Amino acid sequence: MSETSTASAPPRQDLTNRAPAAARSAAAINLEGLHKRFGPDSVALDGVDLTIHEGEFFTLLGPSGCGKTTLLRILAGLESPDAGRLTLGGRDITQVPAHRRSVNTVFQSYALFPHLSVRDNLAFGLRMQGVSKAERDARVADIARFIQLGGLIERRVDQLSGGQRQRIALARALVCEPNVLLLDEPLSALDAGLRGQLQVELKRVQARLGMTFLFVTHDQQEAMVMSDRIAVLNGGSIQQVGSPKDIYERPANAFVARFMGHDNLFPILDRDGVRLNTALGALTVEASEAELSETSGEGSLLLIRPETIDLLPPDQAGTNCLPARVTDCLYRGSQAEYRLDVGDAELQAMVNNRGWQLPSVGDRVCVSVAAEDLVTLAGEAGT
Amino acid sequence: MTRHGLRRGLRVFWWLTLVFLYLPLAVVVLYSFNASNSAAHFTGVSLRWYYRLMGNEALLSALGNSLLLAVVSSLIALLLGTLIGYGMFHHRWRRLGWLVVLIYLPLVLPDIVFGIAEMAFFVQVERLTGWLSPGLGTMIIAHVSFQIPFVALIVYSRLVGLDPSLFEAAKDLYASPWQRACHFLVPTLRPALISGVFLSFTLSLDDFVISFFTSGPESATLPIYIWGAIRKGVSPEINAIATLMIAAVALVAVASLLLGRQRAGRG
Repeated sequence: MSETSTASAPPRQDLTNRAPAAARSAAAINLEGLHKRFGPDSVALDGVDLTIHEGEFFTLLGPSGCGKTTLLRILAGLESPDAGRLTLGGRDITQVPAHRRSVNTVFQSYALFPHLSVRDNLAFGLRMQGVSKAERDARVADIARFIQLGGLIERRVDQLSGGQRQRIALARALVCEPNVLLLDEPLSALDAGLRGQLQVELKRVQARLGMTFLFVTHDQQEAMVMSDRIAVLNGGSIQQVGSPKDIYERPANAFVARFMGHDNLFPILDRDGVRLNTALGALTVEASEAELSETSGEGSLLLIRPETIDLLPPDQAGTNCLPARVTDCLYRGSQAEYRLDVGDAELQAMVNNRGWQLPSVGDRVCVSVAAEDLVTLAGEAGT
Repeated sequence: MTRHGLRRGLRVFWWLTLVFLYLPLAVVVLYSFNASNSAAHFTGVSLRWYYRLMGNEALLSALGNSLLLAVVSSLIALLLGTLIGYGMFHHRWRRLGWLVVLIYLPLVLPDIVFGIAEMAFFVQVERLTGWLSPGLGTMIIAHVSFQIPFVALIVYSRLVGLDPSLFEAAKDLYASPWQRACHFLVPTLRPALISGVFLSFTLSLDDFVISFFTSGPESATLPIYIWGAIRKGVSPEINAIATLMIAAVALVAVASLLLGRQRAGRG
């Protein structure tokens, strides 16, 4: 897939015009109190409530075993929940079998039928629904043009590369024009370059069709690049739902912060108003008293994102300026990654390389961070 | 030993194996064209034993029985064995290991035990109900029962080797249970179904022991006829039958090889 796909004709009126951005308030999917266990000790979903809006690119993000794939399979009808209710476009589909749900899946292994040609794979869903041969051919041709399959459509499945299979699997699901498209880590088997390219392409396809996409991944970068909203799952329950910016910059708890790749987490030792005492030293945060009283109790943590830190000359003074010593520096070209001894703790900092003199190992510096960039997190359950 | 020497040794071994396998067959083929009825001296080429076969009513009826038995039993075994293979696959997470062992037991049981057991069973059934007197019917039942495990095993291993998400993809793409059977399962299993029916057919044609114990007076198959004929001494006619059977088997083997190659070519 390439840049030019935005220029190709949209496949069908009803496919492309199904959900103008203004109509996004409608709930495509509504989950209420979903529970699922696979045996006495294995809880896959522990009471999940979630609303996914029409036309949204929504991502379920979490480590393996967090329940994200189970949730997707319940939506597809491939598993049934032990308890809870599931509606699609306002209709209760909890008891509807998979083959009667207007939902299609792009499987992780692609699951292309080896006994059929690419063309017959694409037409399979329409054929099972009893769509006439003429209409099937037209719709398959439309989708092939839309996804830019070109000559692939005449090939056999075993002649395709991983990236090609991925696109066929996507086209096979899209051609059925489902209310919701489910994607189960569809890019995880591809190499990094192709993966980045397909991320952009998938996002573009979704935006052009206005179709609701529910995407599952364990890769936080992928989730941030592609999603309108993300739900972070752990241990079968939702930790946080929000935009990529919310989730990354304002994680709701320590799990979300760690999962999004944040390492600069410091226990809050005690608090005096907006002044928090940590192993780094005392830092001032910008937050309401109500917010702070919730997130600065026992076991709560202070998050400092490495890219919000400035390294200043050592004699600077001011709010949130802490004396530090550089212990390690990794030069990455556009950025430099620092490790610093600050107070009794080690801090990571990411500094943009603007051609200024960068501090080197052993230098004494002053670590400065803005009060509004600091985030306090409630303690993790059980710690 | 040098590498060269080893390779030459292997080649000699290979030829010895071929000679060991095919020389006896060559002798049978050669003597089927013998002009005299001697089993020791080859006196000249003739087709007289083949002409003699054409007029042998008992032999032709045995051949007919063999083919009928093989076709009917392998088709029934294909149907039942496929259902069992699918059932084993579908419920493979349940603890059914013992059931699977029960299904495979006849595979390792000596034919003679199986044959005697079948005969004893049919005798009891006939005594109590008057049904199942020895004949083609009892032979079909006996053959189906030893063919089923082979078909089930082939179908099961094909299913286990498939990507499990294919089954889910068929569901996801709106196929109802019947549509999944017709448009996904049967086409995907086709290679397994073909080898299953071929194997059953050959097993049935080849079987002597089980057929012998379950046959009736009118239902002698080719192996039973040959066995009967040989008791009166080896006639060159037997060589002619054997040669025809070798030819038939070779033909089927070549045909299945070509079919397989064509399939591999198409994917």
